Amino acid sequence: MTRPLDYELAADGPGATLRLRGDLRRDVVNELKKVLAQAAPARGSTLTLDLKEVGVVDSAAVATLLNSWRSADAAGGRLTVGPLSESAERALQMFRLGAPPGDAPKPPNVAEAAGDALLGGKEAGIAFLQLAADTTFAVLAVLRRPSKLRWYHLIEQCTDIGSRALGIVGLITFLVGLTIAFQSAYQLQQFGAAIYVANLTGVSMVREMGPLMCAILVAGRSGSSIAAEVATMQVSEEIDGLRVMGLDPIDFLAVPRFVAMTLMVPLLTALADLLGMLGGFLVGVFYLDIAWNAFLNQMLSSMVPWDFISGLIKSVAFGWGIALIGLHYGFRVRGGASEVGRMTTASVVASIFYIIVADCVFSVLFYVVL
Amino acid sequence: MADDVALEVHGVVARYGERTILKGVDLTVKRGEVRVILGGSGCGKSTLLKCCIGLKEPAAGTVRLLGEDMTAMSAADRTSLLINIGVMFQYGALLGSLPIGENIALPLREHTDLPEDVIREVVRLKLALVELSHAEYLLPSELSGGMRKRAALARAMALDPDLLFCDEPSAGLDPLTSAELDELLLRMRDRFGMAIVVVTHELHSIERIADRAVMLSQGHVIADGTLDEVRHTDHPEAKAFFERQAAGEMRGPQSALQALRSGA
Repeated sequence: MTRPLDYELAADGPGATLRLRGDLRRDVVNELKKVLAQAAPARGSTLTLDLKEVGVVDSAAVATLLNSWRSADAAGGRLTVGPLSESAERALQMFRLGAPPGDAPKPPNVAEAAGDALLGGKEAGIAFLQLAADTTFAVLAVLRRPSKLRWYHLIEQCTDIGSRALGIVGLITFLVGLTIAFQSAYQLQQFGAAIYVANLTGVSMVREMGPLMCAILVAGRSGSSIAAEVATMQVSEEIDGLRVMGLDPIDFLAVPRFVAMTLMVPLLTALADLLGMLGGFLVGVFYLDIAWNAFLNQMLSSMVPWDFISGLIKSVAFGWGIALIGLHYGFRVRGGASEVGRMTTASVVASIFYIIVADCVFSVLFYVVL
Repeated sequence: MADDVALEVHGVVARYGERTILKGVDLTVKRGEVRVILGGSGCGKSTLLKCCIGLKEPAAGTVRLLGEDMTAMSAADRTSLLINIGVMFQYGALLGSLPIGENIALPLREHTDLPEDVIREVVRLKLALVELSHAEYLLPSELSGGMRKRAALARAMALDPDLLFCDEPSAGLDPLTSAELDELLLRMRDRFGMAIVVVTHELHSIERIADRAVMLSQGHVIADGTLDEVRHTDHPEAKAFFERQAAGEMRGPQSALQALRSGA
């Protein structure tokens, strides 16, 4: 529906006159801009617009005229309007000049960005420690007076973090156990040491893969949901609402999630250990043709209780980290919907990073120090 | 169809599942008038608005927007029709990740081939129109409620619509800000000759801006005409609305005191 712009340029006396006709709507703006640029007044001269015969003038056309007026001014010339039609006069009167075209705020340079990141990181670190301390004290207070615990919320959280994750944690760790057994059998068979698949699967599941896989799954499932839920509450002022009702968000939100993580992650880890070993057991019995009682005996005799317990200790520490990181990112959200998504992603990345680092630290601690 | 009719709704029925919200509603809006849809909560005001702007399919009836029957239209045609109307949502519906200026530039960028410098200038003109020139680079979350509504109005005006819908423009605003917004709407009407449809239940606002009003109750139009005509309708609910009497209050369940006094 683009119609050609109808115009006529006449040079008379000291300046030129540009006579425009027809409707000046956004579909002719590109052409109008070109025509105005061609007729742009040189330094010291004037271009007069004759708008006597124009019809509708919309905001895009007004904006185009204003832009040309500005650039004419900057070039030392002058753009002005002569006779106006009624609708042109109305349109030009209707719109008031906005703020002079200001500069968009500049994005920070490298040094400023680095400084911002550093200061922001420091502030976030302090906020995290504050949250961890508040939560710890709140949990200790609840331990002293268990009647203060919101049982309903705790059970709800336990269901969410624990029982709803049984299927996926069980399946994944079963497959991991299966894989470890297959991979090690391939090597160990060459030495006629296939029976040691039992040792390898058992110990690596219980000490390492069980707690680790379980924690990563919980971080992806429940850590993200904690962050997203708390962040949404923060954005929609629900947290402020809790505060005003005299409910401490730490007591109300952090404690049930923290306690539920403390209880559920070790339980899930125990399940993960068991199913991982089952995966190895199936490979040993059906693929390597080892007698089931021999395999089981070998597997159990290769482990000491400490192997299992150290895995559970690790898993509790993982659970605490996942809960605190999720809460931290949730509480830190400012702004709207897009921030909720960003913070949720950031919380999962941070949780998994934390889990790997903590796992490393625990390994060193358990092997070297103890 | 007369050229001065911007919106014509005829016999619209709307349902959510089993519940029928609109039971045959007629409404015409002329160019250059502010038409107020009023009624108590849950009377179907917002549903009617949704039917008009294509967010809800009416189960029966027709909606003619700017002379074109929207109910019998392909999705692509509908989109190009909707470009010519503006909607100001109750909570602004500004995109939280974009600064105000970009929110207003969005429809211009998506629906026109205007050059960048013209888009920037249009954005500044629209911001000046709603007196938000200083807010071009601020995020919606950095604005107050009234400013956010004005920014939403500027965005609704971005493409110079012929027809503007406003959902509860003054809800949640203080009387002064709400009055300023009313004046702004009237100025839009006078300057641009737009048709403006306002859904509201704020009495002060209605009295100031309404050229004509239509009152809904339980899915029916119970009054239609100038404000005076609507005000003096015989329908008890219309009367109660303008006299600010809670119709159901005295007939409700008995109070605790009554119960205790009268014995079980």
